[in-house]
Amino acid sequence: MQVTEDAVLETIYQALRALNAERAADAQIALAPTTCLFGEASVLDSLSLVSVIVDLETHVSDAFGKSVSLTDDRAMSRDPVPFTDVTALQRYLLELLAE
Amino acid sequence: MYQGKVVLITGARRGVGRILVDHFLQHGAQVIGLSRTADDALVSPSYHPMPVDVGDAEAVARAFGEIRRTFGHVDVVINNAAVLTSQYALIMPPAAAQAMLQTNLMGAFLVSREAAKLMRGRPCGRIIQISSMAVCLEPAGDSMYAATKAAVTTMSQVMAKEFAAMHITCNTLGITAIDTDMLQQLPRQKVDAVIAGLPLPRYATADDILNVVDFFASERSSYITGQTVYLGGVH
Repeated sequence: MQVTEDAVLETIYQALRALNAERAADAQIALAPTTCLFGEASVLDSLSLVSVIVDLETHVSDAFGKSVSLTDDRAMSRDPVPFTDVTALQRYLLELLAE
Repeated sequence: MYQGKVVLITGARRGVGRILVDHFLQHGAQVIGLSRTADDALVSPSYHPMPVDVGDAEAVARAFGEIRRTFGHVDVVINNAAVLTSQYALIMPPAAAQAMLQTNLMGAFLVSREAAKLMRGRPCGRIIQISSMAVCLEPAGDSMYAATKAAVTTMSQVMAKEFAAMHITCNTLGITAIDTDMLQQLPRQKVDAVIAGLPLPRYATADDILNVVDFFASERSSYITGQTVYLGGVH
């Protein structure tokens, strides 16, 4: 698949959909660019965030044929970390996939 | 007993790993055997050997990518790969100490976490660490080996908590000496003396090990996690 902003966004939504499938109807995560994934405003607990990241790494590898790591030293040493919200995560993935 | 199950065993080419491979094959599993060097001595349509250095994070991730594409999941993982250099700490070569840390601890860590990714969303997953009586007996000459195995036990207990919500259990089997290649690296008299001091003073048999592995691997053991069982009355 070609790397486009929309295609990358869709991989993030795919990971969030997988998480939503395990959550109660009143605890669904909004699929939106502004959805906060990390920090005080996040609706995800740490295990849910890990779950999304692991799924996302797999989806990106499947969709674009390139392995990325969202939890390596480079990602974790960024301030703020690249998964504060959906848009930040999308930008970081586009950056990784462009390398 | 394991028909339709995918079982991954590290250190599969010889010793306890090979005993485990034979056992799971005999009971109907698809067995993936990871070993540092190619394993072409065993040919079976159900056996899938992969040459992987478990201490190499990228190699482990690549191997699990291939496992995901081929099998889609894994049901049981047994971290058995280990290296042992028995030497007094004062003269232990740092490279040998580092190698034990890398294979025995980092290898178990890397394989366990990649396995957990493939077990997520499944009804159950089983991660079993093979540890050693050295953790409890603390024999002279085994400072680094015993420390890596103790660390594996602690790691497993923490992972048991982290993976519980994913229906993955993490347990540890501490084995006593069994007649394998690894044992031949140690002075037999020294090992005999250690064995003589056990509450059950004999060498372990394959069946002693398989009995506990089957217990941990069983779907009935869904309420057993973060536990360590030592053979021979060691504690």
